[in-house]
Amino acid sequence: MEKMIKFVDVTLCDGCRGCMVACKNWNDLPIEIEEFHGVQSHANVTANTWNVITYTEVERKDGGLDWLFRHASCLHCKEASCEKVCSEDAISHSKYDTVVVDEDKCVGCGYCVEYCPFDVIQLKTLKDGLVEKRKAYKCTMCIDRLDQGLQPACATACHAGSIVYGNKEELLAKAETRLQDVKDRFPNANIYNPKGVGGTNTVYLLADKPSVYGLPESPKVPTSAVVWKDYAQPLGKALLGVTTMAVVGAAISNAINNKGDGGHGHE
Amino acid sequence: MGGNPAENHPISFKYLLKAKQNGGKIVSVDPRFTRSSSQADVYAPLRSGTDIAFLGGMINYAIQNDMIHKDYVVSYTNASFIVEDTFSYEDGLFSGYDAEKRKYDQKQWKYKTDAEGKTVVDKTLQNPRCVYQLMKKHFERYTVEKVCEVTGTPQDKYIEVAKTFCATADPKKAGTIMYAMGTTQHTVGTQNVRSFAILQLLLGNIGVPGGGVQALRGESNVQGSTDFGLLFGNLTGYIEVPQAVAEQASLEKFLGVVTPKLGYWVNKPKFLVSFLKAMYGKSATKDNEFGFQFLPKIDPKDYSHIALFENMYAGNLDGAFLWGTNPVVGGPNALVEKQALGKLKWMVAVDLWETESSSFWQKEAGSNPEDIQTEVFFLPACSSYEKEGTVSNSGRWMQYRWQAIKPKGDSKADLEIVHMLARRLKEAYKGSTKPEDKPFQAMTWEFGEHDHPDIDLVAKEINGYDTVTGKLVAKFPDLKDDGTTSSGNWIYCGFYPEEGKNLSQRRDNKDTGMSNFLNWSFSWPVNRRILYNRASCDPSGKPYNEKNAIIWWDESAKAWGGYDVPDFNKLLAPSDEGGATAFMMTGTTKGNLFAPRNEGPFPEHYEPFESPVQNAFSSQQINPAIKIWDGDHNPRGNSEKFPIVATTYRMSEHWQSGAMTRNTPWLAELVPHMLIEISEELAKDKGIKDKDKVKISSARGEIEAYAVVTKRFKPYTILGKTVHQIGMIWHFGYKGIVTGASANNLTPHIGDANTNIPEYKAFLCDVRRA
Ligand code: SF4
Ligand code: SF4
Repeated sequence: MEKMIKFVDVTLCDGCRGCMVACKNWNDLPIEIEEFHGVQSHANVTANTWNVITYTEVERKDGGLDWLFRHASCLHCKEASCEKVCSEDAISHSKYDTVVVDEDKCVGCGYCVEYCPFDVIQLKTLKDGLVEKRKAYKCTMCIDRLDQGLQPACATACHAGSIVYGNKEELLAKAETRLQDVKDRFPNANIYNPKGVGGTNTVYLLADKPSVYGLPESPKVPTSAVVWKDYAQPLGKALLGVTTMAVVGAAISNAINNKGDGGHGHE
Repeated sequence: MGGNPAENHPISFKYLLKAKQNGGKIVSVDPRFTRSSSQADVYAPLRSGTDIAFLGGMINYAIQNDMIHKDYVVSYTNASFIVEDTFSYEDGLFSGYDAEKRKYDQKQWKYKTDAEGKTVVDKTLQNPRCVYQLMKKHFERYTVEKVCEVTGTPQDKYIEVAKTFCATADPKKAGTIMYAMGTTQHTVGTQNVRSFAILQLLLGNIGVPGGGVQALRGESNVQGSTDFGLLFGNLTGYIEVPQAVAEQASLEKFLGVVTPKLGYWVNKPKFLVSFLKAMYGKSATKDNEFGFQFLPKIDPKDYSHIALFENMYAGNLDGAFLWGTNPVVGGPNALVEKQALGKLKWMVAVDLWETESSSFWQKEAGSNPEDIQTEVFFLPACSSYEKEGTVSNSGRWMQYRWQAIKPKGDSKADLEIVHMLARRLKEAYKGSTKPEDKPFQAMTWEFGEHDHPDIDLVAKEINGYDTVTGKLVAKFPDLKDDGTTSSGNWIYCGFYPEEGKNLSQRRDNKDTGMSNFLNWSFSWPVNRRILYNRASCDPSGKPYNEKNAIIWWDESAKAWGGYDVPDFNKLLAPSDEGGATAFMMTGTTKGNLFAPRNEGPFPEHYEPFESPVQNAFSSQQINPAIKIWDGDHNPRGNSEKFPIVATTYRMSEHWQSGAMTRNTPWLAELVPHMLIEISEELAKDKGIKDKDKVKISSARGEIEAYAVVTKRFKPYTILGKTVHQIGMIWHFGYKGIVTGASANNLTPHIGDANTNIPEYKAFLCDVRRA
């Protein structure tokens, strides 16, 4: 199967937020009216708002001004912490190399929320009569559109060509060319496809340092997450069977956290 | 400049981004750094209301630095015309001013004519009385230093803008200006646009691919609505509405007044008579001046928005239809406009949602329902996706749209509502013998015998028929002034040239050359995509820029060829009489650098109605020809009490008064709070922190909003003094999913001297922490 990625060239984005509306429209997500944050609508992505345009003002050395926009959403890490810490195998990689949550399997423990290096995945409480359930939600890269041969809704909506979805090799090459194109204007421009998480399926061309956009400079899959998925979970499964894994998982990650690892890969 | 396409016309911005990737440059001139500025190669700030100073300086820069397209200017503009000695300019006033009436005698601004009545010209442009020399002298005062003192633009930025844009004087280059309400909504709005036109003519940028002055329309079909006579002074196709004055008392007299001697408008009688035939059918005969007397005449009064509301407020109007308009949020001095609605006997509101205006009488609106006698009717309208019809874009393409979903509930298309109303009124007037009911009886309304109109019949009436054979007219050159043709709107004549061929429905997206897509929809006139494209070739018919040639004279074929419909007779050789004129519709057949308007033939800088400084260019503080609407309900603020310049604007996420977008959940959540933008410096002065609630007051009222403290607004230094400016969105009212205060409670009733468009973009205010 052809390898595909989403490429977000923030230097082309004009901050129109069409992608936010398209996402809610396709995924039928409810509105969330937040308190006043300024021009930005939501402080961060949430379980109901899977992408948010961030607005950052930066004064340039020459006295000029940059107003930087970023389509913030799930990066779909190759080595996805959320997937690694999920005790229920609710999070997995799809055939499109994207990271998806299986709602039925998710028990709402919230480890993924805790461990995502980018603060992306979030929980929401669903009410079914008197029963309340918590489930994790985030961008699915519109897997139900990909299945139909369509592009993710945000990419289709983006009039500026800032969000494109296509052949991995071609887009990575395009990212390099664009980086050269914008270097004069944005000396700190860089391609954000962090190695520490094995690379991502959403690759950014950023106009400034990742931290300017609130992104970790060199995110890593937290050791505890690696320990869990790659060592403890297989072991635990072998010993106890699948259903009680959440309990074991809690014990193990708490133990690891208490050791002071802290989990998050933020700098 | 005067537009913010990234935020308000994002699809147009898509093409700017493409141009930029192809090596083009984007220049953004705006009081504040916008989302458009974020993508610009050059950004320059200016204080709201100083566009003429800014552009006058650029005109001067182009002339002084010889950055003009000389051959174009000599061949295609009126630069060489000699002006009568009665014309003069001094200290902010042109000759012929009557201070009492605030009016000019424009007869003093005529061209010199020879014994045969022909305009005297000097092609060397050396005669001190030629337009070019007069213009040069007029703008000499607009030096970079003086301009920047007034606009507050840093000089280096100003020069960068001037250099970058004036470089397009090179015939191998093109530059376009995209503007919107930031240009027009001023007491000098018309002259702001005139300044663009002059600059573009000097640079040779009109009629060429990639050139032009682009009016970014505020609504998807504003182009269509003005094409179809929405403006009070226009019939369809930009024909003047007759006035109730003796000089226009008959069809013949009227046509004598409004038909120019030169250019394509000499055919106006054919267009008007065909329009009258479309209006009154068999009741329009040669003997009754084709029904000319049935047409309503306006007395020379003003029927613009402000004038109507002033009259309403004074109790001079009985009733009003608010058709998709929300003045309680969108009108200037909105609190007064709300009160004015309460003085009507009846009001009909046609809208998608109940708006602040349709419910102005409610308690939430701050009204006491018991005190209001107005009888209010609300007619639910359906949205554009629930009906079929056409929308005309800024490029004049009339594009047909089909119904996507059925209307909700009882909501109806506007056309249906008009149709039902017209049929019932015709029925009601049927037996009347009163002379004033005659026009209604004479009017044809043949769009089907049901409440649902046959839209195809409407389309054909717009195009027009041969009234003898009943066949559709193929193109407007076939229209006649003897009553044998009809056409509801001559500029669209030809969009439906034969049965079954509604060209606005065409969707062939194959590029027919130079990205013209000639088989996609229909562009008026006669499917031409670039107006005045004759100007893209030199007088001999050779393209100025071979690489981007759009049309050219083909000597072997003895015809004009190319990728567009040539803007004149296809067979007219460059050497023929009139074969080297490019501007068919301007009255002079030239691009008019000198063009009489109510406040003069050249733009001149005047300060906004409310300004923090004295006019540095002359002792005339404000536009001498604007009408002042005084009265206690419309006080004028001064800079002592209100030292801060304010402007209003829209954001991508909301549309106009917000009536639609504040009711659309996914848009409402994106900008859910009323906000103003304010510089870090002013915020510090006022003790305001980012995200604080603040109160903004003007001479008209006070509102509350959240403050965005931003680097994107900077204080200006104007004539040595620090001047602050703030900006606010005008999308909010008390109805809908998200609510907030209305910015227009602060704006005044004052308008442009020609159009009376309100000055929403520059007024005075003060701001403090709430
Ligand atoms: S960004 Fe966060 S939620 Fe998305 S795949 Fe990576 S770890 Fe998971
Ligand atoms: S749709 Fe494209 S241009 Fe608009 S905000 Fe999203 S990424 Fe930016």
